[in-house]
Amino acid sequence: MNKNLFFKEIKRNAFSLIMWMIVISILIFFTMSFYRTFIKNQQQIIGMMGIMPSGILKFRGITNLSDLFSILGFYAANNTIYMMLLGSVYAIVLSANILLKEEYHKTAEFLLSKPITRGEVFITKWAILTMNIILLNLVADLVGLISIEVFKTGSYSIKSYLLLSFDTLLLNFLFGSIGLFISTLIKRPKPITTFSIGIVLILYFLFNISRITPSAEKFGYLSPFKYIDTNVLAPGYGIDIWHMFYFISGALVLTVLSYQIYRRKDIFT
Amino acid sequence: MINIKNLSKYYNKSRGIENINLDVCEGDIFGFIGPNGAGKSTTIRILLNLIFPTSGTASIMGMDVIKDSKKIKYHIGYIPSDANLYDKMDVQEFLKYCANFYKVKNGDQRIAELTEWLELDIKRKMAELSMGNKKKVSIVQSLIHSPKLLILDEPTTGLDPLMQAKFFELLRAENNKGVTIFFSSHVLSEVQTFCKNVAIIKDGKIIKVENIETLRKKQLKKVTISFSEMPTENIGIRGIESIISNTGNMLSFMYSGDINDLTGYLSKKKIDNLVIEEPSLEEIFLHYYQ
Repeated sequence: MNKNLFFKEIKRNAFSLIMWMIVISILIFFTMSFYRTFIKNQQQIIGMMGIMPSGILKFRGITNLSDLFSILGFYAANNTIYMMLLGSVYAIVLSANILLKEEYHKTAEFLLSKPITRGEVFITKWAILTMNIILLNLVADLVGLISIEVFKTGSYSIKSYLLLSFDTLLLNFLFGSIGLFISTLIKRPKPITTFSIGIVLILYFLFNISRITPSAEKFGYLSPFKYIDTNVLAPGYGIDIWHMFYFISGALVLTVLSYQIYRRKDIFT
Repeated sequence: MINIKNLSKYYNKSRGIENINLDVCEGDIFGFIGPNGAGKSTTIRILLNLIFPTSGTASIMGMDVIKDSKKIKYHIGYIPSDANLYDKMDVQEFLKYCANFYKVKNGDQRIAELTEWLELDIKRKMAELSMGNKKKVSIVQSLIHSPKLLILDEPTTGLDPLMQAKFFELLRAENNKGVTIFFSSHVLSEVQTFCKNVAIIKDGKIIKVENIETLRKKQLKKVTISFSEMPTENIGIRGIESIISNTGNMLSFMYSGDINDLTGYLSKKKIDNLVIEEPSLEEIFLHYYQ
């Protein structure tokens, strides 16, 4: 870890982090502000949802309609999409570029001519990535919690809320490590932002298709989104050790591999 | 200072450099000259551990360029050929950032001295800088920490002649303090006037390592004469090294003799045109090493 690089990287990535924080916070709070109106019109909504194909509900992750009328169920159905999808997009865009941008901006020649090892560059940038993902999640989770407290009409399980938030953080970490891994494989440096966003979107749609088409259900397991349980109101909702193991070991393996590749990589500028 | 042994680098199957051997002594100003694509930057990038060699070894100050890369870099300053910098920083911020990697004591003072000498405005944003000014920033960052070895990859491109002169003055002062300079270039004249020793690289191989004095003694000119009437007899002047072309009334050759002998001879002939020029590097290669 190199302090000089670390503080420079904080500064270089601060603006985009803050922008993402603001946008996601607004989205979460704005969506949650509809909760009261939503439960006021409970009967009409049930009627309306009744005529919708069940696929649409499943697509939104709604297995039990009545879940929507609890504040946590409403939050899970609407808001996890922000942090699951947008948070993962943030993570992969940041990670795919954090090492690679030095190469395609041709600044790697400067950085690596300074007394700093490849390993130190990698670890420092990884630390920034991890820190920024945690900060974005913290802010989003805090805004989520505040909006639940502001708009709630009954009680809810804070434990379930925190667990869901933690799962989402792990998902973001996994996408962060996927981005790092891809960027270390790129031989001729160029920005891979669009490509990496594409990966998140494809995996997200794969997961959604598996939810609404029974025949495609198996393919869903290829997508990390599948391993997040959004059924916060289900009686057995709790820590799933295997899912956590999947996220943590996946992120760890990809990060260690990226580290090894980056240390031996030819840097072209 | 620099020892390179049997160093090769292949990119997939295409050649970067092949079996290069080179020794640069402490205090030397060592020119590394060759046409574009000859392998100059490849060699330099291996020295800086930006890329890994396919085979062979290289060391700087007795330390391995791969294993001890970090230690080595405390002692070297590097000017890349293509000066690309962090666009969003201003010059001062960038130079401080560079200085912080080395824990230099009087970094600010050193930055002030160097930027003043090179007439560089440190308040400017990097993105606004011209190519020449970017090069100046590049020069300053290579010198902040008073390195023992300077590795310069075509450092004069983008600098105007006046600034080039200042830059060479700066380098000579550093060299007088004992700094070794490894100077890569494709411009023969600057290597000739500035360097003490020179290695010539072509197609990934070192063709020749020579003392610059020796090279200078063989000072070559390329002479092209258009005769009104082609002389029938042999041109009997000493110093005609090799005929480049001889078509129609036009004669072109490499000349290393006294220029007065040549003009003396030509004064007796009727000619349409006479061109005496510095041969290109390629022509020198062809002349000496074919």
